Amino acid sequence: MIKRITLAFAALLASVALFAQEPTGGVKGTVVNRNGRQPVENARLVLMQGANEVASATSAQDGTFLIEELADGLYTLIITAPDFLESQVQVTVNDGYVKNMFNLSITSSQQVAEVDEDTFGAFDLDDSGYNDNPTILFGSNDVFNSIAGYNFSAVRFRGRGYSSESQDVYLAGVKLNDAITGYSPYSLWSGLNEAMRSKESVNGSEVSEFGFGGYNGLTNIFGTASDVRKGLRGSLLTNSTLYRMRIMASYATGMQDNGWAFAANVSARLGGNDWVKGVYYRSFAYYLAADKVLDRNNKLSFVFFATPGERGAQNSSTQEVYDLMHDNMYNSNWGYQGGKVRNTRVRKTHEPVAFVKWDFTPSDKFSSSATVLYRFGKNGYTALDWYDAQDPRPDYYRNLPSYYMGTIDGVYEPDMNRNNLYKYMTALNIWNYQGSNPNLVHVDWDRIYSINHMQSSGRSKYVQEERRTDQRDLNLAYTFKARPTYWLTLNGGLNARINRTEYYKVIADLLGGEYFIDVDNFAEREFASSQYKLQNDLEYYILNGEARKLGLGDKYGYDYYAHVRNYGAWLSGKFTAGAFSATLGGRIGYESFWREGLMRKGIFPGLAENGNKMVDPMSGETIEPTYEPDGTVTTSKGKSATARFLTYAGKLGLNYVIGGNMRLYANVGYFNDAPKFNQVFLSPRTRNSMVNGLTTVKTLSSDVNWQFSGNNINVRLTGFYTRIWDQSKVMSAYDDVQNAFSNFAITGINQRHVGMELGFKVPTYIVPNLSVQGVLSLGEYVYTSTPKMTQTIDNSSEIVMRDVAVPYWNKTQLSDGTITQKHYVPSTPQTAASLGLSYNYNYWFIDADVEYFDRAYLDMNPLYRTDYAVAGLDSQITDEEVTYMTTQEKFAPAWLVNLSVGKSWYIQRKYQLGFSLNVKNILNNRDVKTGGYEQTRLVDNTTSKSRYYRFDSKYFYMAGTNYMLNIYFRF
Amino acid sequence: MKKILVIFAAFAALVSCRSLKDEWDPVFTTRYDEAYFIPVTDEYLQEHEGMESITSIADLKAMYNNKPLIITDNIWIKGQVISSDKSGNIYSEIYIQDRDGDAIDVKFGKGSLYNEYVLGQWLYIKCKDLTLGAYNGMPQLGMQADQTELNEYDTSYMNMQGTIDTHVFRGFIDEPVKPTVVTVDQIAESIQMGFKGKLWGKLVTLKGLTYGHTWGIPAIYSLLYPNPNLPHKSDNPENRIFLSVPQNQNQLKQGFDYTWGITSWGLTKADYIKYVQSGLWDSAEVDSGDKLQASFITRTPYEILMGTAYESRIDNFGMDAFSSYKDIMVKYASANYVSHYFTMAQSQDIQIRTSGYAKFASQQIPQAILDGAPVTVTGIASIYTGSTPPGVQISLIDEPSVSVVLE
Repeated sequence: MIKRITLAFAALLASVALFAQEPTGGVKGTVVNRNGRQPVENARLVLMQGANEVASATSAQDGTFLIEELADGLYTLIITAPDFLESQVQVTVNDGYVKNMFNLSITSSQQVAEVDEDTFGAFDLDDSGYNDNPTILFGSNDVFNSIAGYNFSAVRFRGRGYSSESQDVYLAGVKLNDAITGYSPYSLWSGLNEAMRSKESVNGSEVSEFGFGGYNGLTNIFGTASDVRKGLRGSLLTNSTLYRMRIMASYATGMQDNGWAFAANVSARLGGNDWVKGVYYRSFAYYLAADKVLDRNNKLSFVFFATPGERGAQNSSTQEVYDLMHDNMYNSNWGYQGGKVRNTRVRKTHEPVAFVKWDFTPSDKFSSSATVLYRFGKNGYTALDWYDAQDPRPDYYRNLPSYYMGTIDGVYEPDMNRNNLYKYMTALNIWNYQGSNPNLVHVDWDRIYSINHMQSSGRSKYVQEERRTDQRDLNLAYTFKARPTYWLTLNGGLNARINRTEYYKVIADLLGGEYFIDVDNFAEREFASSQYKLQNDLEYYILNGEARKLGLGDKYGYDYYAHVRNYGAWLSGKFTAGAFSATLGGRIGYESFWREGLMRKGIFPGLAENGNKMVDPMSGETIEPTYEPDGTVTTSKGKSATARFLTYAGKLGLNYVIGGNMRLYANVGYFNDAPKFNQVFLSPRTRNSMVNGLTTVKTLSSDVNWQFSGNNINVRLTGFYTRIWDQSKVMSAYDDVQNAFSNFAITGINQRHVGMELGFKVPTYIVPNLSVQGVLSLGEYVYTSTPKMTQTIDNSSEIVMRDVAVPYWNKTQLSDGTITQKHYVPSTPQTAASLGLSYNYNYWFIDADVEYFDRAYLDMNPLYRTDYAVAGLDSQITDEEVTYMTTQEKFAPAWLVNLSVGKSWYIQRKYQLGFSLNVKNILNNRDVKTGGYEQTRLVDNTTSKSRYYRFDSKYFYMAGTNYMLNIYFRF
Repeated sequence: MKKILVIFAAFAALVSCRSLKDEWDPVFTTRYDEAYFIPVTDEYLQEHEGMESITSIADLKAMYNNKPLIITDNIWIKGQVISSDKSGNIYSEIYIQDRDGDAIDVKFGKGSLYNEYVLGQWLYIKCKDLTLGAYNGMPQLGMQADQTELNEYDTSYMNMQGTIDTHVFRGFIDEPVKPTVVTVDQIAESIQMGFKGKLWGKLVTLKGLTYGHTWGIPAIYSLLYPNPNLPHKSDNPENRIFLSVPQNQNQLKQGFDYTWGITSWGLTKADYIKYVQSGLWDSAEVDSGDKLQASFITRTPYEILMGTAYESRIDNFGMDAFSSYKDIMVKYASANYVSHYFTMAQSQDIQIRTSGYAKFASQQIPQAILDGAPVTVTGIASIYTGSTPPGVQISLIDEPSVSVVLE
């Protein structure tokens, strides 16, 4: 967007400056690499008028070109060059002048920095409340993002410490962040790298041409047929951390004389990897698209794509387990079945996306586009489920030595009331001699099948369930760009979203049994005498007098719709005066969501359709409803109350260009956003209850930037300051003190993010074609508030604590007021640096980088930060207890070394063959924690009966030395 | 062009070779063959596990000498499963009975054992490295006891599947053992023998039982801990409430209901709260008034403990010290066991003990039984030497409708 505005503005200035100097019409300029601004030789420039080719040229060694003898009119200039993405720009030739386009920047298609969702393994997080969704730094046009995006992905770096849901990702002008969670939905198009390669990004709070955005940048993927690189391309990729092979092919016609453009992209990602057993891919992808230019002003695009397939997930474990396995990449999700690895947790998806886009460009002063996009299909995630049977997880805490010998930091702690040396040694032996029986340290499929087999009734005690999150997501987006006068450019748009997501689960595998029963295993422990309370489907029970017998593919457990409605409008204006420009914009919206239960659960029966209490047909017992704190009936079936939010935001951007190469710019924005559906409902699988005291999330964000691009030097320096208020979070965990599965709702979480970013790429001037490049991200992302927490028992909605302060959420503070530790926003290094060399010559490239990461912190659980957990049973708070229970773990710093090398060859000037090889973590550092979370559990059966102890935290680790080799072929 | 395609194809082949490992088809979802489920036999264990001979359970019990015995010899016992945790009344343990009719409690330490160890199935127990011990006179076979301050057991649970699989081997599934009908004299004999009594751990049927204590009153026995998270051993009377009869018959209060209003077999959490709030237990005393006078549960720990030898224990309760015991009991409510007294042959107290976590815990005892109709009871017999005279308890395996039958 900025590029186009700059070009248009430059063209305008040029036309004035060159007035009367050229006798005939024409176009001239210099083709440069967007990243580094180096001239691009041998770029082919084709000038089109409608569907007709008018003229063409090739750029010289210094990147310059000239096309002369042009009549007045509107043209399309198409620029292509080896190893660069095709680019198009509109050119208007007026009054016989030669228009100087100055620098026409094109984007490198070099595959060294290929970062997509695949780069991040899928983790299994259950209901921990931990968010492990990655953020991906897009934008090869930004020196910081292009280096950090690739080099920092291994440690799951989050730019400026922001969460995934704050990063706006658009497709063809439609915001595609998940309607329920807000996460960026990269998996919708992973494997379609060619089709989705063409994109535009802005950073921070900048306003994009495609949407208003938030404070964490906006990326718009074009995705239409004419945006896919012309020609036939094939690539074959192998890597050692995710899958063995990716094979991909694409073909695009480009815009043809008849006004049609077609494109297709298919791929397959297959196999396992060297680092995490059980993680594998069997994923495919397809993409079909067509564009039709109707006339000079109108173009229609049709796109349909999906990435069907499945992949095994990884689980986190405690350090004790990793140490016992001598492997920080241990994955507790899988076990051997018939000698083969079988993963219990498999993501199975097929979510097609279809959109139609209409581009309307009546003049060079006004353009607009409208998109209707629909997402549908299925998204499943398998897991083991069991009824009245033992927990099959191999790393269940009672299977570990620590359960028999309580220690803190390796020192025996008698007060933990865990002291049985013999059993400790026995447990140690089981793990140490795992080779003798691997089923003891992995999922024991043999035992699972054996138990099911032993049930004479045929009833499975264990099944594999598939948790489904099936979206029906309809989006409409309209954007326009208008330039009513030379000093003003307006961008704006309207958007609407209607989302209905069905959450339910089905029987994916009976594991050798014949049927399963649809009852609530957890309710049975407390309500064994009331049959109706055990029912997941109470209405079936009332009709049939028994619980439903389930076969393969049957729905069970829970079934509800999450409904989301979202409407908005935005407008921004860019005012230009010489080298100074200012952008001012605003957004207003309305968002609502509600839950609609489709299954009536026995523990939250509510009232019958006629408003009366129901009766258990078997016992004659009246089915008593439970009640919310406000006296309304708690129900699992039917529509909940609707949460409604008015949202709005404003942005101001100031930009000053100094001498053509240097730019000073600053942005400030204020955002008032709705919470997400998954932050609002306490336990949506069971009932309609909502978090008390819901409010919008407020964000104030600002940044100041200095950028230099010229003479092969590319530098950006940014300072940023962001405050976020009133965030909320819902999580579920087993409470050892209550002996019950509980829901925790935390409200009033505030954060402050302050820091700087530096990115640079500078020629060495000593060795030709050798540059020094680096990035530095230095920040302090901290919690600043004392949130409140409400705990309810999941089975009964009984409130254990209501709006209790979480005083140690933002700090560890001793009794004399001394603050010994601030508490930090977790899961990203707050210090991240990279320094390296980059060599480019004759289609060779070699990049070598050294990286340093520090000040990454573990995700905290709020329970450990309450007075209740700190004090323990005696209600006395000591400084020692405060320090022990509330201190946030800081990860050790890490050094990494990465190397990339690549080369491409042109053969007969028609074909291109190339490769890129990336070797990451050459030092084979296997102790780098990339994330993790604290378990929300307490050791409460202590000897002294005066305090509680923590459960061990769980972690994710980065893989050791790994590679990715990509061979590609184009013609 | 041809060369390019060859290079491309060669690379594809190379990558495919690595991929053509199991990873291509890592999810194996076929059904198991029946052959997988083969029970072990004597011969198998002799050949593969070093079993030399099988010791009778009676001989094993005979090794006990009033202190925990860590078994160091290659001793194996073999017995049929006679208990099930399906109904929830027995938890984490399995009783096995051999061909001689002797039985023992094996402490597994896991739930839902009935799925894998079914009634009638022969189990082989490799006793080496296990510990033979007693809990209030009841023979148990488990792991060495925890060395913690709070431990009050001779043995502990095996807990880990690896440990269980090292010591317990599943044989073929036979017809379930028929309960042994025992007489009051046999009970008396076993009480006399204490730990080595033949009945303890055995599946028995008792006939002619009538509801009520031998003192001629309906009664129950249940020990409650107002805050189960706080210390509640015998030297913590401030956190123990007995719902039972007095220690001596002459202390009986005329007309008092010593069932404390409990007419269900056990106390679920919901029942527990219901009873506390009903006022039926208002006259219950903390530690039955032995050490703490006038310690009714309507009073607070502060009121009861202030000025007594247990004054310092007030701090244990924290802020709860100023709440009534009733409120504390509701706050920390959990399911609790109840033992209902029955009389056998008009002379022997038999307690039918039901866990609050049993699926039938909240089932009401039929009125006919409460009214004194004689019943036949089947369950696991156990001894409790913590009282004088030692108590005899029966734990029901099945639903009361099956295990407690009107005669």
